[in-house]
Amino acid sequence: MDATLKLWAVIVVVGLLNYLSRLSFIALFAQRSMPPMLERALKYVPAAMLTALILPMIVAGPVSGLTASAAMTFDPKIAAAIIAGVVAYFTRSTLITLALGMSALWLLQLLG
Amino acid sequence: MRRLLASPDFRAGFAEMLPACIGILPFGVVCGVGAAAAGASWLAALGMSAIIFSGAAQILAVQLLSSGAPFAVIVLTCSVLGLRFLMYSAAMAPYLKGLPPRWQQALAFLLTDQAFASAIRRFNATDDPRAGAQHFLGCGVALYLCWQITSMIGYFAGNLIPTSWSLEFAVPLVFIALVAPLLRNFPNVVAAVVAGIAVLALDGLPMKLNLIAAGVIGIMAGTIADVARERWTRR
Repeated sequence: MDATLKLWAVIVVVGLLNYLSRLSFIALFAQRSMPPMLERALKYVPAAMLTALILPMIVAGPVSGLTASAAMTFDPKIAAAIIAGVVAYFTRSTLITLALGMSALWLLQLLG
Repeated sequence: MRRLLASPDFRAGFAEMLPACIGILPFGVVCGVGAAAAGASWLAALGMSAIIFSGAAQILAVQLLSSGAPFAVIVLTCSVLGLRFLMYSAAMAPYLKGLPPRWQQALAFLLTDQAFASAIRRFNATDDPRAGAQHFLGCGVALYLCWQITSMIGYFAGNLIPTSWSLEFAVPLVFIALVAPLLRNFPNVVAAVVAGIAVLALDGLPMKLNLIAAGVIGIMAGTIADVARERWTRR
């Protein structure tokens, strides 16, 4: 598939699916209540999906896909991510997490 | 339209979201930078922010596109992430019940984590659903405009920032800022840890299928932990 076409197809289809999810219980099935088991499972979508998204960005470097070798050597990204995690846990602030996380990475890269 | 823009509730909602706009600024910028890095045109980058209007989904889509994942896998993975909107929609539905369909359709489009939290507070504070809806619309419009502006800043300014700054690290940082505060509750910890182990263990899967597989496994683990905890405390 042509790259531009594929990009726009992703934008339109993902946008539409997101909108249908947003519209679901407000309009589409307004008369129904959510099945209790679904309601329970949905609560864990952010923690599971976002963690699955985060880890490959940190553990595997942009060049190598070998997670084992990345874990063997000291990686400033992993250390900075752990620091950012602790900061985010206590402050709940995106701005502070970003500022301290980036500073930690730069400092560790300088030292390493 | 003019009457709506002049309404005090709309304006109050709009103004209330301006501090939140500072908070989402880095996220929007990162989305723009990501789109530029993936080779999108400025129009596609804007289209992405304007149509998808979800930072996490946009970044996920960009990552998968850059790694050459097929169309079906990208759509499937993004739609699992988008399932959380079902939860917001169900929570918002009782407040929007009496409104005309056009209002419901417009407000559903603007449903995001930030607008959701602020709107629930306002709806609880008023008996007039119209006033609450106008306030929600104000919140949503402010965030929407801010989102388009910040992603365009990221798209155009991202190229000026030297690569030695490792700006791409801002992407996982934004997500860490979203996930870490969730880890106060046991089933969320289980969901995150299991999903994290799974995504690395399944790294060998083709087409980045490890993302969606790990997401689903993590969601199941969190749900099981939730049920188990409930049984345990009931005893």
